[in-house]
Amino acid sequence: MPIRLLFRNMFSHPVRTILTSLSVMIAVFLLCVLDAANRGLDAAVANASRTRLWVQSAVSLFVNLPDSYEAKIATVPGVDDVLRFQWFGGVYQDPSNFFAQFAVDAAKWHASYPEVRFVDGSLSDWEAARTNCIIGQDLARQFNWKVGDRIPLIGTIFPRVDDSAWDFTVAGIYESNSTNVDQLTMYFHYDYLYESLDTGAVGGPLGVGVYLTRLAPDANRDNVIAGIEGFFENGPQRVRATTEAEFQRQFITMLGSVPTLLSSIGASVLFAIFFAVLNTMLMAARERTRDIGILKSLGFSNGRISMLLVTEAMMLCMIGGGIGVLFAVLCEAPLWSVLVAFIPGFQIENTVIVQGLLLAGGLGLAAGLLPAWRVRRLDPVTALRSEG
Amino acid sequence: MATAIDIRSVTKTYSRGGETLHVLDELDLEMAGGTFYALMGPSGSGKTTLLNLIGGLDHPDSGQILVGDTRLDQIEGSQLAQWRAENVGFVFQGFNLLPVLTARENVELPLLLAPLSRRQRRAQAERALELVGLADRMAHKPKELSGGQEQRVAIARAIASDPQVILADEPTGDLDRTTADAVLEALQRLNRELDKTILMVTHDPQAASYADETIHLDKGKLGRIEHNQTATAGN
Repeated sequence: MPIRLLFRNMFSHPVRTILTSLSVMIAVFLLCVLDAANRGLDAAVANASRTRLWVQSAVSLFVNLPDSYEAKIATVPGVDDVLRFQWFGGVYQDPSNFFAQFAVDAAKWHASYPEVRFVDGSLSDWEAARTNCIIGQDLARQFNWKVGDRIPLIGTIFPRVDDSAWDFTVAGIYESNSTNVDQLTMYFHYDYLYESLDTGAVGGPLGVGVYLTRLAPDANRDNVIAGIEGFFENGPQRVRATTEAEFQRQFITMLGSVPTLLSSIGASVLFAIFFAVLNTMLMAARERTRDIGILKSLGFSNGRISMLLVTEAMMLCMIGGGIGVLFAVLCEAPLWSVLVAFIPGFQIENTVIVQGLLLAGGLGLAAGLLPAWRVRRLDPVTALRSEG
Repeated sequence: MATAIDIRSVTKTYSRGGETLHVLDELDLEMAGGTFYALMGPSGSGKTTLLNLIGGLDHPDSGQILVGDTRLDQIEGSQLAQWRAENVGFVFQGFNLLPVLTARENVELPLLLAPLSRRQRRAQAERALELVGLADRMAHKPKELSGGQEQRVAIARAIASDPQVILADEPTGDLDRTTADAVLEALQRLNRELDKTILMVTHDPQAASYADETIHLDKGKLGRIEHNQTATAGN
């Protein structure tokens, strides 16, 4: 294989080569990012806990359940514990500073989340005061919050009647070893929310958004689900109990067909770029018709000459693809900070990198085959007469 | 002298615009090894076609072409390509150098097909370029060379792999007289010093005078063969 000839040919039209590589770079970059997003969405489902069930209104996730359901769910055989979860929806300084906040039963929370540990503060610190909260370490990093810091939040679902801000104190910072539990959430005492509503200091809906139900070690999950749903079959409000994986999948479904859309965009971009590279290679082969005739006259076989073209196409794509992958890796952190609230599992994994490079190589291979096939059919005498 | 090229009853036709052209018609020709031949004839007489057939770039419709001990009409594809790589060197009118490579790299090209190390290839290419007087132009690309220099690079490339037969198609057609003479002298030297069999297509009687023998073709048939008594007069 005349490597030098391969490189010289590749860069004989530097602008065309750079533009083609750039298009592959952008395609591979997009593919890596979109794939990482899809994998991130899937990871939340794949890593879901098998010991947690989520109980919500059968009507909608946005319809609260009565407080009394906590004790009733706890009586279902196979249920170890029940926690109240309420979406708070507060705003810190500006709506663009979005992060999730949940009112939960603090004393029970940690026992239901074994994948979480405190890196600063502790459960008892959190329990020490009603206004205390805990935050994920990514959230702490994002706003440079430390234990002892105060977080004022303006309630949107639960506004204070005097228009003042809710006041929380950071009592702990947690980290998670699973993509299923993000590190960008704030948890505070459900009782703080309940009492504020009860005293009339705060407006907003009563009740509980969802109940997190921890299964007993020997419980049959399907039986527990059937038991909980059956318990409320006749009301006052029917419930839907789901596994955590199903609960997570519900959120992904709420994004509509985003995963499919992401995949479709990636495939479309790849398809379009395939034709761009194919066009480049066909042009290159046509321009080099005489050169191909020369190589044939020198004794280069059709196979060798075809290999030259296919390798050139693959290298063109691999260079672009390599830069695209590198760019994706470099952009991982900034992209993660933007996407983590929606896709906590967003990560450019090694498999994504390998897949990106393989796709680039495959793209080059596919784009090089047609010109290579044409070269095989080219008669050397005709090729030598060519002006190209 | 042993016969290097033996052509028996070779016919070649082309179809053009629905019309069949008989380019070579039952041609018989024997050429001795180590001889410098000029092939002359009017346009369309089949000179280049014959050259291409002897070089294994084209196939006859019928007949036998024996070069050395290989029947070219019986092999094709990669086998024919390998035969070309080992047995024949081409010199074309338009030089046909690869523009992206330097003179030395162009000469090294056919050597990539031989079982040689990089160092051996380089040394052999440099020797070939020295032989044609271009030792100081090895790193130059074709566009940085004059026409005569380009053609001498093409000659160096043709001899780099040490083939027994060199086929030249109007090698001086694009050159001025002085440069043409230098190129023809180089070919003659290859014939005399390295015992190469050379077949050169030309329209130019002065170029033909460098050859030992001149073969005339006319309408695809063999005409007269002239032995050039003054073959040395050109240099």
